Amino acid sequence: MMAYILALGVWIAGWWLNVHLSHSDRSDTRFYSLLIPVIFGVTIIVMWEILVTMLEVSAVILPPPSMIAARFASSLNLLWADFQQTIIKGAMTGYVFGMIAAFAVAILADRSPFLTKGILPVGAFMAALPIVGTAPIFVKWLGSDWQSKAAVVGVMVFFPILVNTVAGLKDTSAMQRDLMRTYGAGYWPTLLKLRIPAALPFIFNGLKIATTLALIGAIVAEFFGSPTLGMGFRISTSVGQLALDMVWAEIIVAAIAGSTFYGLMAWLEKRVTFWHPSQR
Amino acid sequence: MMKNMMMAAALATGLTAAPAFADGHANTVTLQLQWVTQAQFAGYYVAKDKGFYDEEGLDVTILSGGPDIAPPQVLAGGGADAMLNWMPSALAAREKGLPVVNIAQPFKTSGLMLTCWKDTGITSVEDFKGKTIGVWFFGNEYPFLSWMSQAGISTDGGEDGVTVLKQGFNVDPLLQRQADCISTMTYNEYGQVLDAGVNPDELITFKYEEQGVATLEDGIYVLEENLNDPVFEDKMVRFVRASMKGWKYAEANPEEAAGIVLDNDETGAQTEAAQVRMMGEIAKLTAGSNGSLDEADFQRTVDTLLAGGSDPVISKQPEGAWTSVITDKALN
Amino acid sequence: MRTAFVTGCARGILMTRLNAIIPALTVVAVIVAFWTLCVIPMNAHLTADQAQREGMVLTPEAPRDRQELSGLSLALKNPAIIPLTYVQTRPRLPSPHQVVQELYDTVIDKKITSKRSLVYHGWVTLSATLLGFVMGTTLGIMLAVGIVYSRTMDKSVMPWAITSQTIPILALAPMIIVMLGAIGIQGLFPKSIISAYLSFFPVVVGMVKGLRSPDAMQLDLLRTYGTNSSQGFWKLRLPSSIPYLFASLKIGISASLVGAIVGELPTGARAGFGARMLVGDQYGQPMVTWAALFAAAITAAMLVAILSLIERQTLRRMGMGAA
Repeated sequence: MMAYILALGVWIAGWWLNVHLSHSDRSDTRFYSLLIPVIFGVTIIVMWEILVTMLEVSAVILPPPSMIAARFASSLNLLWADFQQTIIKGAMTGYVFGMIAAFAVAILADRSPFLTKGILPVGAFMAALPIVGTAPIFVKWLGSDWQSKAAVVGVMVFFPILVNTVAGLKDTSAMQRDLMRTYGAGYWPTLLKLRIPAALPFIFNGLKIATTLALIGAIVAEFFGSPTLGMGFRISTSVGQLALDMVWAEIIVAAIAGSTFYGLMAWLEKRVTFWHPSQR
Repeated sequence: MMKNMMMAAALATGLTAAPAFADGHANTVTLQLQWVTQAQFAGYYVAKDKGFYDEEGLDVTILSGGPDIAPPQVLAGGGADAMLNWMPSALAAREKGLPVVNIAQPFKTSGLMLTCWKDTGITSVEDFKGKTIGVWFFGNEYPFLSWMSQAGISTDGGEDGVTVLKQGFNVDPLLQRQADCISTMTYNEYGQVLDAGVNPDELITFKYEEQGVATLEDGIYVLEENLNDPVFEDKMVRFVRASMKGWKYAEANPEEAAGIVLDNDETGAQTEAAQVRMMGEIAKLTAGSNGSLDEADFQRTVDTLLAGGSDPVISKQPEGAWTSVITDKALN
Repeated sequence: MRTAFVTGCARGILMTRLNAIIPALTVVAVIVAFWTLCVIPMNAHLTADQAQREGMVLTPEAPRDRQELSGLSLALKNPAIIPLTYVQTRPRLPSPHQVVQELYDTVIDKKITSKRSLVYHGWVTLSATLLGFVMGTTLGIMLAVGIVYSRTMDKSVMPWAITSQTIPILALAPMIIVMLGAIGIQGLFPKSIISAYLSFFPVVVGMVKGLRSPDAMQLDLLRTYGTNSSQGFWKLRLPSSIPYLFASLKIGISASLVGAIVGELPTGARAGFGARMLVGDQYGQPMVTWAALFAAAITAAMLVAILSLIERQTLRRMGMGAA
């Protein structure tokens, strides 16, 4: 009973603080914009710690945040090695390949409206293939190492980036295209100087969506066969060994990696498409 | 936020309700299996379908397992009364703070083995050095790690060690030659390798029993605190008695048992041929046991695990990890 | 005169429908042709091993030597195995006709209530998908309304909604299932929770954008009418968010299906597409896996098509025209 009251108290305190900060004068500054979600997160963590320790929940089901933090701190080397295997070798490679393939197909499709109408439904079908089915097949074809994970990620990110690039390439107005023609620009200069820059807001939308997909794809693919390294490997074997604190430590790494990757894309977007209304 | 609140509420109610659930109903038993429905668990399905549980007045629910389900976790959460588990995994769970206790041991011998291509030149354990070996995890890696530790072979790869591959759920790593050897059960994966058209003379196998590093496999485990409840204990006595009756029936009638397993397979993807073969092999593993755990077998398993050198699965002799209380009452 | 008009209309409709379908069909045809060709090198090694066991003489003789060769060169050196690559029982890459045959077998040739029927398994997965989709959409809309109307929620919850999608659901799923199992909830609901987890986020993002889409002029107009906040919501914000909502729903239902399939793994892989994929993979029946894979993708495509139809009708009735 005490546990619930305490947890509720923490929740009310955290929420009140956030309400106060959100409505203050300085709520739009970068510092406050970061502080408020952090306070929210800290509130949840404190509530979690209180409920789990005071209600004596078995660590085999849900470990308290303190235990997870301890495990995180003591396993940095292992977590870093897993990170390199899964994110850098698996997810990043797949992301880059998927991106290049999507751009190539989008430019091809751009030259031919016939191809555009044909590719999009097929791409949608490919995107609908569930990863639980494609991952074992890729492992069968490419082995258990990072190559199969990169292939899974490539297939997953292909469609979102393709759809957005195609939409972006269409997004120039007739006046802009006419202007290029008056300058005597052929297809390729128009593409490079007008249509690709104009397409960038859409492209970045696709790239941002693809970041989370890439991460999840690489981790889930490792459930179906991997060397004894990698975040998905660590998560699935730790569940089997009842080392739930390790599972959560890996989840934290995934969350940090995913948010950083997404944030990186958002920052790049701001730099490159500074002229777009949504960035002003 | 709302989701987190819901989860917190569910968690809170769950934990206060969990003990209540375990000893709530005097005649209902929930059993958590280790994997999906297959003849490896025939005894329980036979006992249910042939009415042996009904004769004891029990209403039994059999929960199938699968990837991503850790039976000790389900037991800890109160989602089941009893679980099936391999002894190394159960002992490791005990050391982790989850007090599971073995109440019956239907499987006397181990069906675990490594299957290798003969043309890799492997003839003995020593030849594993420099090779790639597929190992399941999720509790099945302990016998392998123990064995390698005892043989003095490192599992970190390289010339003098073995490169370990986390095997998925099929035998493709061997067929596609991504691994030189894979872990197989005598009753399942080995047969599948043969089904894929491979001749037995192309393979060389290493049974853990013959290598002297076998550990006890499928046993019935419950939470220690529940055994203090006489209602629960009585329920388990009846359950074990009926389950062993189911096992002995399955051993004597493998085709019928395979048919019962197929009826209970909801995926519709199992085949009769594979299940009949599995039942035949399983019968060899359960043949020597009447359900009670032989202390010598227990000690042998513990010794194998403790001998695991630098990375032992368990660090000390387990106390109170098994009890004959249930089997004494059930089988006499 | 009238018949000519009617046939003219029919032809017109048929031509536009065909116009839309022909490009897709062409691309599909090209892909299927490419796929058919790829079967040969992909299955070459397995076929060669099998053929050798049955007595065929191959170049090179020893299996270990054959490992060095690529699939294509092996097939070219032993042309006799080429037709055999199309009828393997455990192929690395099944031929298109094998997939179609398996789909026909399990969808049309089996009774719908039989557990060997893909339709039965499709329904198991679909029921979890739909329930999860409804739950996820409701949660998403409620969160979106909260984010748009409460500054505190906007600043504190939205970043966490984004982070929630970076947490691999397959890691959380066992915990969710165990905790729900502890309070006796099993079966459909836990799978739906995983579906809901994956589908709420696109709905939140879409609805937030949509609820914020009325521009300043429209909001001012309502204020001159003296409407209060609630009327403003029902009469302006909600209707303008409908196009965004439908775009998100289409993404959400795909995600929901993926979630339901993923959810079948930690709940005992008993029935449904995911269970079929897993058991087929494990017990050496790749055709079962491939058929379930295609069936799942086809189901997703059908669900998105149904949503598109509903979207067109709804937007037309709301006067927003063809979108």
